[in-house]
Amino acid sequence: MNPSVTNPNRPKRDWKALLLRHETLLLLVLIAEWIFFYYAGTSTNRRGVVVGFGTIDRQFDILRHSCEIGLLALALTPVIITAGIDLSVASLLGLCAILFGKFWHDAGLPIPVAIAFTLVIGGLAGALNGTLITKLRLPPLIVTLGTYSLFRGLAEAITRGAITYTDFPASFLFIGQERWLGVPTQAWIFVVVAIAIGLLVHRTTYGRSFRAIGFSPEGARYAGLPVERRVALVYVIAGVVAAIAAIIYTARLGQAKADAGLGYELFAITAVVLGGTSIFGGTGSVFGTLLGVAAIAVLKNGLATLPIVMRMNAAEEMAGLLTGALLLLALTGSVLPRLWSRWRSRHPATATPELKPKSTA
Amino acid sequence: MARYFRELSVAGALALVLLGLAVFAPAFYQPQPLLSLVTREAPTLIVACGMALVIISRQIDISVGSQFSVIGVCAGLLAAKGWPLGLVLLASVSLGGVLGALNGILIAGLGLPSIVVTLATLVTLRQGLNLVRQGEFVNLPDGLQWFGLSQSGGQWTLVIAALVILVLLGWGMRHVSAGRLVYAVGSDAEAARLAGIRPQLCTFLVFVFMGALTGLAAMMNLVQSPQVQPLSGSGLELKVIAAVVVGGVAISGGRGTLWGVFAGLLLLACIAPALIHLRIEAYWEKAIQGGIILLAVVADGVRSRREGAGK
Repeated sequence: MNPSVTNPNRPKRDWKALLLRHETLLLLVLIAEWIFFYYAGTSTNRRGVVVGFGTIDRQFDILRHSCEIGLLALALTPVIITAGIDLSVASLLGLCAILFGKFWHDAGLPIPVAIAFTLVIGGLAGALNGTLITKLRLPPLIVTLGTYSLFRGLAEAITRGAITYTDFPASFLFIGQERWLGVPTQAWIFVVVAIAIGLLVHRTTYGRSFRAIGFSPEGARYAGLPVERRVALVYVIAGVVAAIAAIIYTARLGQAKADAGLGYELFAITAVVLGGTSIFGGTGSVFGTLLGVAAIAVLKNGLATLPIVMRMNAAEEMAGLLTGALLLLALTGSVLPRLWSRWRSRHPATATPELKPKSTA
Repeated sequence: MARYFRELSVAGALALVLLGLAVFAPAFYQPQPLLSLVTREAPTLIVACGMALVIISRQIDISVGSQFSVIGVCAGLLAAKGWPLGLVLLASVSLGGVLGALNGILIAGLGLPSIVVTLATLVTLRQGLNLVRQGEFVNLPDGLQWFGLSQSGGQWTLVIAALVILVLLGWGMRHVSAGRLVYAVGSDAEAARLAGIRPQLCTFLVFVFMGALTGLAAMMNLVQSPQVQPLSGSGLELKVIAAVVVGGVAISGGRGTLWGVFAGLLLLACIAPALIHLRIEAYWEKAIQGGIILLAVVADGVRSRREGAGK
């Protein structure tokens, strides 16, 4: 496929440089965060044991707690690259967790079969989103707003707001609470999914077609791409990954409940946008998303280890506040170059001749 | 007739639900509970009117729930300090306008997508409020509840005020040039610009107006109880967007009326009491709401496809 399909207007070099700059910047923020919390959030308690941010246990804790939001963010990256959005992923996480509990507890299925069924349910739910969006040409925002309500509502209706499935066998809880080869088990699953989605988005013609569709669906259609099938595929993948997140969530907490993952979609979308994926579609990177997830996770967990925040008992709120502010900053930062070049093209007299933009219209 | 087909079909569905309730659960029509139900929905109606304008202008605002909570708490604190009701009302409407202007600057001024901007302000405002207030309730002074009137007197005042605003806005959207501008910008911003309209200014003002209406709605909620809950507005945005979409406002902008939104809101508001009266478990409410939203958008999608094929 012709590489210029992705972005015919701008030279490729520029786009790459911008991406690089964004991700580098985010990586620096992440390192700065980590160093800050390492020094401010680590202390020695009365027995002389090192506690807080700097311990390996705490680092693994961060990893454990960021897996589910991280998976949802990975699921959303291709969706947003195609200029779509999926608000329903966290609700689907709740529904899948409940159904998994039901398959295992009420239907008496063995754990692996229950997991397989849950993944199928996730795929079907994603297919529902995808079908409504592509076959009826409905806006993704409003379709997934409807399924956001529907999936969570079904989870609540099935459990009547009260039932929580517990007493899962230890072999299953191993996924969420134990370590394999020294690292939390779910981190391995997360890495596998991240590599799979990274390869799909960056190393296959599918990923290239996602960008083409996000940049211009009409153009992609004229280029002969099966736009509808590709868009539907993106939502199916999101559904399956949400189901994986549901399994991990259930294994980590040892219980399946209807409010599993409530509000996770906000953090997942924030991570994706923070990672440099354009909400207008057409550009984005899985690596950026991973950095975005890490930046949010380190912030949230690091704040909880600061003495002043511990005294106020407000880590959750402060992390949310800072995440929101960070998102606003990242958004504003992302449009400033464009505004600047538009301003320059409107006021050519003030622009120095050699820096004049090369027909960026 | 054909022009209002969408609104009429929602009204028809509402009539069916009300008829069904009349036959199977006449207890629904006891005057006092019914008045209380309608009063509870009055603030939602005001926010839904603002949201209809925002969506008609092809934007969306999911931060209204957080705005509602923040304004409610601030207004409560001012009232507790002994400010007179009129001043508190003015302050909360202005605060709403300021919060709306913040969204408006980022969306209209910088050209950022409204869904992400308002997502960010939703999180920031909600967590900021949690951080400052730690979930504390605000106790209101005596005499503020129901404006110092009797309960039914206060309820009637609120319901009538909400209806007056609805009628004024509904009439204005059709017959006042400012209302037509919102439709023009929403159906085609570029065409509107070529026609001499300034779409960015229009979008900005719509967000300011949305914020001001949210401030008003927060006040209408405030006078209904002796305390302000810290998270009075959480989930409000989805309820309101659902009402607007079910009421036939196109999410792609430029189409829809406030009358449809009114019918859509009443239809959704009837679900919970209807479930209780029809002895269905109330846990189904959210799923049914989601189902109704999907049904409404699917109906719109099928219809617009058929119209497109007929051309």
